Amino acid sequence: MTARQRDITLCLLFSGLAALLPLVSEVRYTVTQTTFFFIWATVVVQWNLVFGIGGIFSLAQMALFAIGAYTTAMLGYYFGTSMILAMPIGALLAVLFSVALGLACLKLRGPYVALLTLCVAQVLYLTIVNDTDCFTNPPSGCMPLMGGVRGFSRFGDLGFRELLGSGFYVGRYYVGLAILTVAMIVSIIVIRSPMGLAFQALRDNPVYAAARGMDRFKYQLWIFGLSAFFTGLAGSFYAVNTGAVGPVVFSFSHLLFLLSMIIVGGVGTIWGPIVGALLLMFAEEAMRELGDMRDIGMGLILVVCVVLMPRGIVGLFEDLVRWRTARTAHAVPLPRRETV
Amino acid sequence: MDTILQILASGLTLGAMYAISTAGLALVFGAMNMLNMSHGAILALGGYLSYFAVGGMGLPAPVGVVFAVLVCAAVGVLIYQIVARPMLRSANFETRIFIATIGVGVILESIILETFGPQPKPQPVSMPGSLTLAGVHLPYQNLMILGIAMLLMAALGFALQKTRIGRAIRATAQNRDAAQLMGVRIGYVYALVLAISGGLAAVSGITISSLSSLLPNMGADPMLKAFIICVVAGLGSLPGSVMAALFIGVLEAIVQYVFGVRFSFALLLILVIIVLIGRPQGVFGRVQGVRL
Repeated sequence: MTARQRDITLCLLFSGLAALLPLVSEVRYTVTQTTFFFIWATVVVQWNLVFGIGGIFSLAQMALFAIGAYTTAMLGYYFGTSMILAMPIGALLAVLFSVALGLACLKLRGPYVALLTLCVAQVLYLTIVNDTDCFTNPPSGCMPLMGGVRGFSRFGDLGFRELLGSGFYVGRYYVGLAILTVAMIVSIIVIRSPMGLAFQALRDNPVYAAARGMDRFKYQLWIFGLSAFFTGLAGSFYAVNTGAVGPVVFSFSHLLFLLSMIIVGGVGTIWGPIVGALLLMFAEEAMRELGDMRDIGMGLILVVCVVLMPRGIVGLFEDLVRWRTARTAHAVPLPRRETV
Repeated sequence: MDTILQILASGLTLGAMYAISTAGLALVFGAMNMLNMSHGAILALGGYLSYFAVGGMGLPAPVGVVFAVLVCAAVGVLIYQIVARPMLRSANFETRIFIATIGVGVILESIILETFGPQPKPQPVSMPGSLTLAGVHLPYQNLMILGIAMLLMAALGFALQKTRIGRAIRATAQNRDAAQLMGVRIGYVYALVLAISGGLAAVSGITISSLSSLLPNMGADPMLKAFIICVVAGLGSLPGSVMAALFIGVLEAIVQYVFGVRFSFALLLILVIIVLIGRPQGVFGRVQGVRL
C-alpha cells in the first residue's frame, strides 16, 4: 500500500467512526460542537496546503471563508436562492477572489505576503462595517447592501428541519462531515502527488525548483484556487449552519484560533491541522469557564508552541519515530569491513 | 486657503504620531528581519502605564512618561529573551516570529483588559489650550506631539549615524555574520533594538491616546498603519519611513476631508495593496540582491 492509499484509508476510517457519533451521543451540544469542528478543520486543512505545503504565509483564509459565507447569505436574502445552489456559488466566488490574490502575491515573499493579505481582509471588513447607506428597508430596519454591522440572518436553510424534525442538527452534522472528508482527501491527494512535491520543492529551494522547470506562477495559482474552494465552501456551510453571518467572521480572534490550530498540530504535515483543530476545540471548551482569561490561554498556547515545537505535535511525533528507528537501525551490527 | 493649512496642520500631527510608532517597527525589521505583531499591544500598554502612574498614583507627567517608556522597553527586552532568541537561527524565523508575536500581543492586550477594564479612559498626560496662527487652529497638544516626534527622530537618526552602538546596529542590519565577525555582540544589539522600539511605542501610545482615549485594543489601528507606512517606505528603511509617515498623515487628513472619515482607512489599505503589487520593495526600499 502506498503512502497515499494508507492516508486515504485512514481518513475514511476516521470519517466512518465520526459518522457513528450522532447515533451514540444523545447530547445535542456535542453534535453541534462537532459540526463546528468539521467547519474549522476544513478551513485549517486547506490553509495548511497554502501555508505549510506551499510555504506561502497568507492570512486571507478568513476573508475567503467570509466571501463564501456572505455570498451564500446574500444570494439567499436578496434572491431567495436555494442553499444547495448558493453554497457552491459562494465557494466558486472565493476561488476567483483567491486566484486574483495569488496573482497579486506572486512577486512578494515571506512577511510581505502576510501583510498584503491582512490588508485585503481588513479592506473587506471595513467596507462591510462602514457601509451605513440603506440598500433595502425591510420592516426589521435599514439593511445595507453587505449587511453592515448587523449582518444577515434568515436567508435560508438546507431543509433538514422539514425532513428530520427536531433532529435537524444531525443532518447538518453529516453535511459538515462530508465536506471535511472530501477536503481532507483532496489535501492528501495533493500532498502525495507530483503537484504536492512541486509545491514543497518551490517552498524549500525556489531556485533549484525553477531550474528543474517548475513554474511558480502556475503552481501558486493552483494552490490558491484549490484551497479557496473548500475554504469558501466551509464558509457557506458555516452561514447555513449558524443561520446568521456578520462581520464577526473577520475578527482577529477567529484568525488567531485557526492559526493556533495549524501551529499546535504541525505546519506542513498531513494530519497536523486536524489534530490541532481537535485539541484546540477541547482547549477552548476547557477554558470556557475562564471568560476573558481564555485569550491569554490561547496566546500562551500559540507562543509556547511556536517557540518550543516549530513543527507541532505531529512533527514532534514524527521526529520521535525517526529517532527510534534510527536507534534500532544502529543496533544492528554493521558488516565488518575487510582489512586489507 | 485656511482650510488647506488646517488640513496640513492636522495631517502633520497625524504623521508625527505615526512616525514615532513606525520608527520602532522599521528599526526592528531592519536590524533583525522581525515583524513585531505585538507592537500595537505595547503601544496600548504604554498609554495605560502613563494613565496608571499619572492618573492613579499622582506622579508628575514627565515621570509618568519615563516610567511608561522604561517598562515598555523592558517588555521589548523580555520579548527578545523569551520569544525571539530561541528561534533566531531557525530557517523560518520571519514567519515564526510573526506568529509568536501575534500571541504575545494577545496576551498583553488581555492583561490590559483584565487590569483596567474595557471602558475608555482619558489620558492624563496632555496639554490644554490652543493657539490661533494665521486663521489656523493649533492646539498646544498637537504642537507638542510634532515637537516630540521631531526631537525623537532627530535623536534616533543621530544615534544611528554617529554613535558606536548606532554603527553596530547598522552593521548588524547590513550583514549579521560579518558584524558578528567584527566583534559586534549581536544579542546585545537585538535586545537594544527591541528596547528602543518598545520605548518609542510607549511614547506613541501616550500621544495617540492624548488625542482620543485609552482602550485596550487601541494599538491595533496604529500598528496596521505603521505597517502600511513601513511597506510604502520599504520595510526597514528608517528615513524613508519617517517621510512616508508624514506623507500618509497628510494624505489621511486630505482623504478624511474630501471623502469622509469612514473611508480613509480602507483607501489607505488599497494604496498599500497597489504599492505592494507594483513595487514590492517599497518606494524608498533598496532593491536587495534577491535571486529569482
